[in-house]
Amino acid sequence: MAKNPVRVLVTGAAGQIGYAIVPMIARGVMLGPDQPVILHMLDIEPAAEALNGVKMELMDAAFPLLKGVVATTDAQEACKDVNIAVMVGGFPRKEGMERKDVMSKNVSIYKAQASALEKHAASDVKVLVVANPANTNALILKEYAPKIPEKNITCLTRLDHNRALGQISEKLNVHVGDVKNVIIWGNHSSTQYPDVNHATVTTSSGEKPVRELVANDQWLNTEFITTVQQRGAAIIKARKLSSALSAASSACDHIRDWVLGTPKGTWVSMGVYSDGSYGIQQGLIYSFPVTCDKGQWSIVQGLKIDDFSRGKLDATAKELIEEKTLAYSCLN
Amino acid sequence: MAKEPARVLVTGAAGQIGYALVPMIARGIMLGADQPVILHLLDIPPAAEALNGVKMELVDAAFPLLKGVVATTDVVEACTGVNIAVMVGGFPRKEGMERKDVMTKNVSIYRSQASALEKHAAPNCKVLVVANPANTNALILKEFAPSIPEKNITCLTRLDHNRALGQVSERLNVQVSDVKNVIIWGNHSSSQYPDVNHATVKTPSGEKGVRELVADDAWLNGEFISIVQQRGAAIIKARKLSSALSAASSACDHIRDWVLGTPEGTWVSMGVYSDGSYDVPPGLIFSFPVTCQHGEWKIVQGLSIDEFSRKKLNATAEELSEEKALAYSCLS
Repeated sequence: MAKNPVRVLVTGAAGQIGYAIVPMIARGVMLGPDQPVILHMLDIEPAAEALNGVKMELMDAAFPLLKGVVATTDAQEACKDVNIAVMVGGFPRKEGMERKDVMSKNVSIYKAQASALEKHAASDVKVLVVANPANTNALILKEYAPKIPEKNITCLTRLDHNRALGQISEKLNVHVGDVKNVIIWGNHSSTQYPDVNHATVTTSSGEKPVRELVANDQWLNTEFITTVQQRGAAIIKARKLSSALSAASSACDHIRDWVLGTPKGTWVSMGVYSDGSYGIQQGLIYSFPVTCDKGQWSIVQGLKIDDFSRGKLDATAKELIEEKTLAYSCLN
Repeated sequence: MAKEPARVLVTGAAGQIGYALVPMIARGIMLGADQPVILHLLDIPPAAEALNGVKMELVDAAFPLLKGVVATTDVVEACTGVNIAVMVGGFPRKEGMERKDVMTKNVSIYRSQASALEKHAAPNCKVLVVANPANTNALILKEFAPSIPEKNITCLTRLDHNRALGQVSERLNVQVSDVKNVIIWGNHSSSQYPDVNHATVKTPSGEKGVRELVADDAWLNGEFISIVQQRGAAIIKARKLSSALSAASSACDHIRDWVLGTPEGTWVSMGVYSDGSYDVPPGLIFSFPVTCQHGEWKIVQGLSIDEFSRKKLNATAEELSEEKALAYSCLS
């Protein structure tokens, strides 16, 4: 017997990432090929006609799994009864803008959307914030939607996680599906720490540590880290547009693993509400290694953190604390 | 045991349709969730940097099914060993250009790509032409790649077919997956004939004729037809860009059904080399209703064609004959 449809909200749906993600959701990439979906798409008034164009194309594609589309500029209608919310919409930084200006605009967007979600979404709605500054937008959303369980509010660092897997697979000339258990710690920004100390590669003679196979600590501690940290900028340089395809795909991975569970022996990276694990201050949205089971994530505990890593974990936490302070100052 | 990867070529891969299509292929939407793929991406030298950006994003998305990416501006490298070729690249019509100008440019593109495919693709390579004028580009490709079996060269009318399903489902307020067996006859242009005379809807009391359920012949013979014919323009008006999402998705449907077979009792529309069926002149690439099995398409025979439909079939065939004559005059 067919499952009941799940309602999935995408904000900023008329933009680039929205255009890439909605066909993925409609094909079952996010929730599985047997899970019907109803898409809720939200954007701002100036994008209403473009948003309707996306709705028309979704209809034109005749997706078997897509049981309905709600395309609206009204946040209440958009949030009504949604089970999953992917928050792509936000104010992008433009040339000449100060961090505080971007932060100001995004803080008020996420405050308003928090309110709408809390009032109208399904009570156990799972939220993924993509729009930058992702961690801090997610934190603001959490603060203004106190009824949404804090464990249900996350931000996207799976893109960075997947980028790290990709870089290792290219360095070792192995298939990316054979690399696992990298970690992205901290902020989805240039202070993120891509950590391979516990990452492994499936080889014909069993699982081997990445650090051992790469045999180049210098590279792993410098160029590898900066390549992953700055990959977003590299994509913009090549495409003249930011990464939509890979961001959309990674957002699907984040939700899918959260809802359907991570494979045994594998963890992923998610920006989640910090509980003090690994000496990270509570009350930040911080990227940790997590496993997922029965619709819940849990931080992988007990991983060794060497001195080099400790410095990196703390630096990105420090930046998040500063962002949090800046965000609160914008709210007053 | 895992299958050998299939090599899939996408030309014009740095463009809008390419960007929508490649993640779909990499997720198994085109060839199935268990079929690994190697993507070959081709574009022209001015797009080389953007093309590399797409390759970078494919690496960044860490797709388990994607076993390799060849991104190149060299047509020989692009075509080498490919099992499927999706020809999205072409010269778009710009304001002020005459049909003959567009035709001249596209005829020379498809002539040289025909040559490269014929020499370097895998035997039995399946070709789908998307770039407009799709039917005539496919015909040129066929003429200049005589060692590619004519049954392996097709053009995309599945987008129009899916659009027709969508319009009927909206009119009747039913799920699009319950509507089937519309037909798109002829040219992927505004002379296409969307025909519902044999289309049905699954209802709780069995399959019913669309014409009977809609009970509005004036609409089916008038507005419905022009909506489907002109849908591309409607999308451009709303989005300010042409339909990439739905074109990419429909291209995946076309290939998937061709390779994996159509469901029992269901046909689809494909632009294929005419054999004179339904009194359509042989030697055109004309969209027909087809079923697919064992990797081969077959025109559905014996469908009754009423007078109204006969005129529409003749009109679109006439336009294709004119396009063919124009194309040949450009080659001389």
